[in-house]
Amino acid sequence: MIKRRGFKALAAFAAAAFLLVGCSSTDGGGSDTSSSDSTGGSGGGDVTIGATFPILDQFLQTVADAMQSKADELGVTLNVVAADEQTDTQLGQVENFIAQGVDAILVIPVDTDAAGPMTQAAQDAGVPLVYVNRKPSDLPAGVPYVGSDSLYAGTVEMQALAEMAGGEGNVVILIGDPANEAAVQRTQGCKDVVDENPGMTVTKEQAGNWYREEGQNIMENWIQSGDDIKVVCANNDEMALGAINAIKAAGISLGADGILVGGVDATSDALASMEAGELSVTVFQDAAGQGAGGVDAAMTLIGGGIVDDYVDIPYQLVTPDNMADFQ
Amino acid sequence: MSTTTNAPAEAPSSTAARFNLGAFAKKYLIVLILIGLVILLTILTDGAFIKTQNLINVIRQVSAIGIIAAGMVFVIITLGIDLSVGSIVAMSAVVGASLAQTADAAVIKFPGLDVPVIVAVLAGLAVGAGAGFVNGFLITKFKIAPFIATLGMMTAGRGAAYIFSNGRPISTLKDGYNWIGQGSLLGVPVPILLFAIVVLIASVMLNRTRFGRYTYAIGGNEQAARVSGINIDRVKLGIYVFIGTLAGLAGLVLSARIGSGNPTLGTGLELDVIAATVIGGTSFAGGIGTIWGSVVGALIIGSINNGLDLLNVSPFWQQVVKGLIIVVAIIIDERKNR
Repeated sequence: MIKRRGFKALAAFAAAAFLLVGCSSTDGGGSDTSSSDSTGGSGGGDVTIGATFPILDQFLQTVADAMQSKADELGVTLNVVAADEQTDTQLGQVENFIAQGVDAILVIPVDTDAAGPMTQAAQDAGVPLVYVNRKPSDLPAGVPYVGSDSLYAGTVEMQALAEMAGGEGNVVILIGDPANEAAVQRTQGCKDVVDENPGMTVTKEQAGNWYREEGQNIMENWIQSGDDIKVVCANNDEMALGAINAIKAAGISLGADGILVGGVDATSDALASMEAGELSVTVFQDAAGQGAGGVDAAMTLIGGGIVDDYVDIPYQLVTPDNMADFQ
Repeated sequence: MSTTTNAPAEAPSSTAARFNLGAFAKKYLIVLILIGLVILLTILTDGAFIKTQNLINVIRQVSAIGIIAAGMVFVIITLGIDLSVGSIVAMSAVVGASLAQTADAAVIKFPGLDVPVIVAVLAGLAVGAGAGFVNGFLITKFKIAPFIATLGMMTAGRGAAYIFSNGRPISTLKDGYNWIGQGSLLGVPVPILLFAIVVLIASVMLNRTRFGRYTYAIGGNEQAARVSGINIDRVKLGIYVFIGTLAGLAGLVLSARIGSGNPTLGTGLELDVIAATVIGGTSFAGGIGTIWGSVVGALIIGSINNGLDLLNVSPFWQQVVKGLIIVVAIIIDERKNR
């Protein structure tokens, strides 16, 4: 029996330990998914650019694809790695790029507040560095950021929804990962517009962490809470599509006669939903423009040129009126 | 600790002839905790929580967790663990969805391929069973600790799901496939029906078959089980194939529910599954655990998620409250064993 009890204590300890480990590695260990290092062009194979991504989800994969095709077009070698959302893994990848002697580095930072050491490492080594898609909070002059303004995305999304709703009704917000700058800014944009409309109120807000399934669960729960919901302002299309599933399943109509749903990203699934008359609004973030813009900025820096500190790749509002341009 | 310990739960004591209210309350304490939670949430939400449709939502939302937890009971009873179930969900989801796309999907994984939905379902289950077999093989033949073997599968499996789907959701699926997650049969949502069937099968397996008795025996004392002639490797291999298959089923349910095979599906799901199992009284000391307990555990997790949404608790506080309730539930439940 004594042996058994010791075992129990050990097991309890192991349980605590694995919960901790499990939490910190939900998305797998620090594997470098060196997805593409194909040398597309044969001519100027001398120039190599390293790009590190936090993770390659649908959107960022599009950015990576655009970088690759731009690199192929210019005859440049591109090495893409992903950091599994780990800040320290990404710093290691930047250090590895420097050690490999790449000519420039593109970074989509895991954590916008923890980019300083990467910037420092590149500057110390004299390697040009360009941030893409996510803007570091601490960015010295001469290190360009190629991206789009998240606050603007939330603002135009909600403006279009408010107009369709006639400036009246309850608004619920599906937030992405609440620790993420884009989620915070898009949510702020949503709220700013609601505040400008005296007939509108934000009644509920919850984090769906960018996932369709979580957006669907939350919306199902909200529908049961008895709120008279008029507008769903989602931080991205995946959560908006989840909310649409929940609304349809509850037998409520979508659009101006029922609930208006908006998202951001203009993914192919979102555009298909809009075509079916379900999604009212989305905002196109120009993933391809960001990827190509990042490579362009890097090439300019390699050639000794000067790049603006902020290269704006503008968001574009997508409604049923102009969706054909984005399909 | 005192020197007198409680008798093993499964051995009926000679004085158990008359009904013992204290013992009954002890055994079903976790059910009382669930009932208390339901009453509390009903009061706090002005009755919105207890509405039939809301309760159906709660159960449907935890169907995937509950389905896998039924397998996790077997795993944890034998002192194992399976961290890979969330990644197996993703693999099964993308494979199942890829075989169930309609011809008018914007991006088609296998253009021109049109197979019956049952093929997609069997493929998803096979992916789960296969991944479970690899886990079991590593654990029994290479003697790798379950924690490590399934950690490897968790990492590699998620990567495989991304590779298969190019990091993009596989969408626009056939109605027959979506039915698994969105449809209902005789008024009961299909995910809940599948959850119930799995619970029934797992209960029979654990309580009424030799496989179940061996599972308890291995968890109680692996050495004694070995000496008594049980083929431990074969039982363990069977257990990991079983939970893998259940994770495959959960992947089909989740992808059908959102109408899309998404490689991010099931991220972090393993923790909810383990929490449901442990809240349900399955012990990390091995040898102890019930299927119905894991069902109650899953319902507690679902009730917390749902109730906090209804109450519009801030996302940061949701995590804190959820963690506290899980730990408190286990502390209360553990006290019955002292």
